[in-house]
This record gives sequence, C-alpha cells and structure tokens, in this order.
Amino acid sequence: MLVLTRKVNQSIIIGDDVEVVVLEVRGEQVRLGIRAPKDVTVHRKEIYEQIQEENRQAAKTRTEDVPE
Amino acid sequence: MTTTTNFTSTRFGEVAYTDADIVTLEGGLLGFPASTSYLILAHKEGSPFRWLQSLEEPGLAFLVVDPAHFVDGYAPLLGDEAAQALGLSEDTPRLVYTIVTIPNGRPEEMTINLAGPIVINGVTRVARQLVIEDPNCAIKHRVLENKSKRLAA
Repeated sequence: MLVLTRKVNQSIIIGDDVEVVVLEVRGEQVRLGIRAPKDVTVHRKEIYEQIQEENRQAAKTRTEDVPE
Repeated sequence: MTTTTNFTSTRFGEVAYTDADIVTLEGGLLGFPASTSYLILAHKEGSPFRWLQSLEEPGLAFLVVDPAHFVDGYAPLLGDEAAQALGLSEDTPRLVYTIVTIPNGRPEEMTINLAGPIVINGVTRVARQLVIEDPNCAIKHRVLENKSKRLAA
C-alpha cells in the first residue's frame, strides 16, 4: 500500500481525474473531499461490505420459506 | 424467429428462455461478480415475489420483490453515474426490485434490502445493484411486523 502524509487542504490525485482532498482533521475524524468524474462511484467501504454480506445471506433464502 | 434455450436451475428445474428474457447485471451483484446474466422467474402465480436466477450458476437465485408492495414512497436516488451506466433517461421505463432475505425456517423474519436495490432498464434489460447511503434505507428492513404472515395479494 502506498502511504502518503498530507496536511489540510492538500490532496492526492488518482489517475488523471480523481482528486481526494483533506478538508478537515478533528480528533479521530478526517473529512475528505472527492472530486471524480460522474462515471466513478464513491462510497464508504462499510456499506459496500454490508450489502455484500446481505447478498450472501439472501442467496441462502429457500423457496419453501417464501410466504404465500 | 426467436430461439428458445433450455437451462436447468437447481431450485426450479428446467427453464426455457429467449435472449430477450436475459437481464444483464453489469459487474454482478455485490459479492457475486461472476454472475452477470439473470432470468426473472415468477415465484408462484399471483405472488408478488420473483426470483432472479443466475444463468452462470444454476444454484444461485435471489428472491426479489417490488418494494412498493411493502414500502410507500420508496424512490432510491439514481445518481448521474448509475443513470448513465444503465442508459436511463427520465422517461425510460424501469423496474426496481429489492432483494429479500428469509432466514431458514423463519419467514416472519423476512427483510428487504432498501440500501441495495436492483434497477433494471426496461428497454435494454441492463441492470445494476445500487448502493444507497441513506439512513432511512435499511439493509435489513423488516416487512412483516405490521402485517400478518399471510400477505395480501
């Protein structure tokens, strides 16, 4: 993993067109601004993982348990 | 002349379909990237439930339902990126399904996933699972709390 040190208002560029800016650091929280093309989705990692896990649970649903 | 293809599903046995029936989930469902072609099968006549049956994995199927059947006013916000990927303009017909989870043997604990709806372009049948970051859209939304176990059709 690439590790960089940044200060508030400094940013990193990923590829040609994705920019991540450090907006604010307050205690344990960091606010980031993300500038990316419209065809790039940006989400918190936790929600992705939660939906993956829910899909795995859903795939175990049995036909005999479906209500009439 | 449309060609009919036969497919054997683990749950439903022999299923006949044509190319026009295939729903293409680009990138697959989260956690299931290898399956991108699905059929929509009715659960039973008169039932609001459908099954999204993977054509790549005969044993993989997801129970889905139109969220309007359980939730009023659910309208997941479609971002520009998703609309573009799905080729949806404002007046393109679309289908929205939510995935249903039923723990084995406990149908009363059925939940629908409002945070990960599946949106299907009704013309091209290209689809995608959206990620909705809204505290009002639960991943496990209980639907039978205020209804009897027997659903109104």
